Amino acid sequence: MNDKKTMVKIENLHKVFGKDSHVLRGIDLDVKAGEVVVILGPSGSGKSTLLRCINFLETPTAGTITVDGLTVNAGKATKEEETKILQIRKKTGMCFQSFNLFPHMTAIENVIEGPVTVLGQAKSECIPYAEELLDWVGLSDKRDVHPSRLSGGQQQRVAIARSLAMKPDVMLFDEPTSALDPELVGEVVEVMERLADEGMTILAVTHEMHFARDVAHRVLIMDGGDWIEQGPPEEIFTNPREQRSKQFLAHILN
Amino acid sequence: MSETQETGGCTIPPEAHAVLEEIENRQKRFKRNTTIALLSLTAFIFFLFYVIKLDFMFMGKWVGFILTGMGFTLLVSFLAISLACILSILGALGRLSKNPIANSIATAYVSLIRGTPLLVQVYMWYLALPQLGKALEDIGIPGIQNALTLPAIPAGILALGVCYGAYMTETVRAGIQSITIGQREAAKALGMTESQAMRRIIFPQALRIIIPPISNEFIAMIKDSSLVSLMGVWELSYRAIKIGRRYFQSLEMLIMVAFIYWLMCVVLQYVQEKIEAHMARGDRRVH
Ligand SMILES: Nc1ncnc2c1ncn2[C@@H]1O[C@H](COP(=O)(O)OP(=O)(O)OP(=O)(O)O)[C@@H](O)[C@H]1O
Ligand SMILES: [Mg+2]
Repeated sequence: MNDKKTMVKIENLHKVFGKDSHVLRGIDLDVKAGEVVVILGPSGSGKSTLLRCINFLETPTAGTITVDGLTVNAGKATKEEETKILQIRKKTGMCFQSFNLFPHMTAIENVIEGPVTVLGQAKSECIPYAEELLDWVGLSDKRDVHPSRLSGGQQQRVAIARSLAMKPDVMLFDEPTSALDPELVGEVVEVMERLADEGMTILAVTHEMHFARDVAHRVLIMDGGDWIEQGPPEEIFTNPREQRSKQFLAHILN
Repeated sequence: MSETQETGGCTIPPEAHAVLEEIENRQKRFKRNTTIALLSLTAFIFFLFYVIKLDFMFMGKWVGFILTGMGFTLLVSFLAISLACILSILGALGRLSKNPIANSIATAYVSLIRGTPLLVQVYMWYLALPQLGKALEDIGIPGIQNALTLPAIPAGILALGVCYGAYMTETVRAGIQSITIGQREAAKALGMTESQAMRRIIFPQALRIIIPPISNEFIAMIKDSSLVSLMGVWELSYRAIKIGRRYFQSLEMLIMVAFIYWLMCVVLQYVQEKIEAHMARGDRRVH
């Protein structure tokens, strides 16, 4: 992995909500191209906030974020920075716990929405690729169906296709399966695995231990607004060094 | 209807058919009884007309004259509601804006207009505006008095449009705010700008929610358009009242004009239902 270029670089990232809710406390993190990183940690440790700072759904309070060579410094609200933020968002796809598909559009319309509105492509031009993506997530037959008539697992797979339509360099997953019935989790994780196999750079917050153990290259354990330990899954799961990691892992592995 | 259906090797049991049939019968009975009730009500009303010796000949004679006023009513209503729609979208964006100037203008607009009677506003546009024009002309803006002296119909359209725009601003704002934050975030995560997210994602969804209240406003507008008669426009109700008074047959004229308003509103309601059904595509509940 070391010879690959750095895809995401986070330096000294702080996030303060309100005046004194110090949620992220100086995070440093490098993610290489094609690397799959799983972020674990107790509730409230700042996992979602960290992901959301990478594509600026939350505005970092201090620090810098670099995605594919584009660097944004926190706290500078210039026009130039705003343009860079939009560019970073085009390079990053994000999947949410609650899917957030656009309910007034069919599956295929959801998938082409990014390319059409953001990249200004003609509809006819992006439909073939969108169909390919729907096929890739196993939903060709749901092409013209609205989200309200899809199961949670199907909705999340359409949401993945919607993100992929922008041809992102990085995918962020924030607990993509935790709103799903247990029997629907597998179909979403399977899509994420294939995405990893194809070399996508992935940062995922997920409690799917199988994904963390078998797919991730690196596992990061967060607590209190910073990571306390990181390493290859086999190391983290069998032999954690930190006491807090041990406690947390003991808690989730049962 | 009661031949047994094969559904995946499992037949619907016969007692279930009896239940289904009973449900269907109940729906049929309900429909039939409602129709009977409505017909009886109509018959009763015509009977009343007969008892009070309503002069149908007289009504027939003047119906054409009164209907000519419908043109004004529809013209004023359609233009005013169009103006109100534009103002309400701008108003809602202003109310939600973080720009202090836009926000305070929108807030003042809504507060001021909702806090004063429509009647006063109509006279403001028609009678008070020319005076303002004169004052401005006196301090050296040439031609402004003429520009601000509005004929009755434009004044009426402005008064109604601006007034309804203020009420509808709050409806549109509530509609926009009812769309979950997740939708805006998903749009942003794709790289959309604020205005793209509003145009493509938030507003189309909000529209679905605000169509029923907006239709209500439109129906109310049709009726409030009779206020332009205050400025001497010969619209529907003005004609009816004039003729009724002249021949001391106000009852006939008022019943007739009420009926005409009602018909217009029924048509609008029908259009509203069609639009709603169209907007509800993809909504699980209506399929
Ligand atoms: N918009 C916000 N305003 C104020 N506080 C917030 C906001 N978003 C998050 N927080 C706080 O920041 C802390 C970290 O939240 P975050 O959602 O990042 O945690 P998490 O690790 O993702 O937790 P979970 O596992 O429950 O999803 C929490 O204490 C939360 O209350
Ligand atoms: Mg979270």
